[in-house]
Amino acid sequence: MIDSNKLISYLHERGFTLATGVPCSYFKELLIELEDNDSIRYIPATREDEALGISCGYFLGGKKAFVIMQNSGLAAIGDAITSLAQLYQIPLLLFVSYRGLEPDADFPEHLVMGDVTEDVLTAYQIPYEILYENDWQNIIARAVEEMDTNNEVVCLLVEKGVLSE
Amino acid sequence: MRGEEIIAALKDFLSDDFIIVSSNGNVSRQVFHLLPKPQVYLRGSMGLPMSVGLGLALSQVDKQILVITGDGNFLMGLSSMTTIGNILPKNLKILIIDNKTYATTGGQATVSSSLNYLKLLEGLGLKHFKSLDSTKNLSKLKDTFTTFFETEDTFVLHIIADEDIEKLDNIPWHPIEIKNKFLDRFV
Repeated sequence: MIDSNKLISYLHERGFTLATGVPCSYFKELLIELEDNDSIRYIPATREDEALGISCGYFLGGKKAFVIMQNSGLAAIGDAITSLAQLYQIPLLLFVSYRGLEPDADFPEHLVMGDVTEDVLTAYQIPYEILYENDWQNIIARAVEEMDTNNEVVCLLVEKGVLSE
Repeated sequence: MRGEEIIAALKDFLSDDFIIVSSNGNVSRQVFHLLPKPQVYLRGSMGLPMSVGLGLALSQVDKQILVITGDGNFLMGLSSMTTIGNILPKNLKILIIDNKTYATTGGQATVSSSLNYLKLLEGLGLKHFKSLDSTKNLSKLKDTFTTFFETEDTFVLHIIADEDIEKLDNIPWHPIEIKNKFLDRFV
C-alpha cells in the first residue's frame, strides 16, 4: 500500500495545494490524511462534476488541484470534462478508483462501469495509467508532466489495496 | 428589468479587484459585451458557475469573485450551493438573475417559479442573502447592489427579472483564448 502521507507530500512538492472529490472506500486512508494535513486542503464535493468545477476555478486562479472519485463518477463528469476542462484546456489530475474488478464480484452495482471504465476514458480522450504501488512516484510524475505540458486532463486508476487496505 | 439591464448596472460597482464567472448562454454574452474584459465566460459547463467561482475564491483569496448565473444554471448546480454554504468564503458573491426560463434555448419554463429563494438560501447556512423583484421594485436596485458589494462575506443576491432579453452576439473568443487572456490579467 502506498503511504498516503508520502503521496500527499509528493503531490504538494509538485504544486498541488487543493484536493476535492467524492469518497470511495479505496481512498479511505488518503482521505483521512488529507483532512489531517496542512499542505493540501480537501473540499468534499456533493458531485463529481462539482469537484471538476472547483478544480478548474482553482486553476484559473493560478493554483493546482486534484480530484478524487469512484469510477461511477466518470459517468457524472462528461459535460464538465468536455465543455469545461478540455474546452478551455485546463490541466487536471484525476484519481479514480477502479471498482468492478475481481474484488468487487459481490458488488454488482460496480460491474457494468468496471467493464467500461477504460473505454469511457478512451472515449473522453483522457490519457490514463493504472497506479501501482511499485514505482508510484514515477507513474505520478509522468501523469503530472503530461497534464502540465499538454494542459490536459489525465487520470490515474486506483485498484483495491493500493491506497487503502 | 431585463437581465442585460441588471448586468449593465453592475458596472458602477465593480473595482479592478473583481473576477466575474458567468453562466453559459445569454448571461456570458451579456457579461462579455457589457462589462470590463476579460472574465471567466463559461460556454458549456451548465450548472457549474458556482463551483468554478468557489475554486477561484479559494485560490485568489485577495480578489473578489462574482458569479453571475441564470436560474437554470443555478438550479442545475444547486447541490454545489451546499458546499458553498459549508465553506462560506468571504470573497465570493453570487448574483442569480431569475427570469424563470431557459431563455437561451427559447424561453422554456424552469421550475424556479415554485421555489422560495429566501427560505432556500437561509437553509443553505448563508448569513447574507437578499431577494429583489426588479419587475416591481426598480428603484431599489442601486441600494441593493450597494449592500451586496459592501458586505465583506459570502452573499447571494436573487433578482427576479423580465423574461425578455436582448439577444447579443456570440462571444468571439475561443474558450482557450478566454482562458489565456484571463490568466494574463490576474496570474
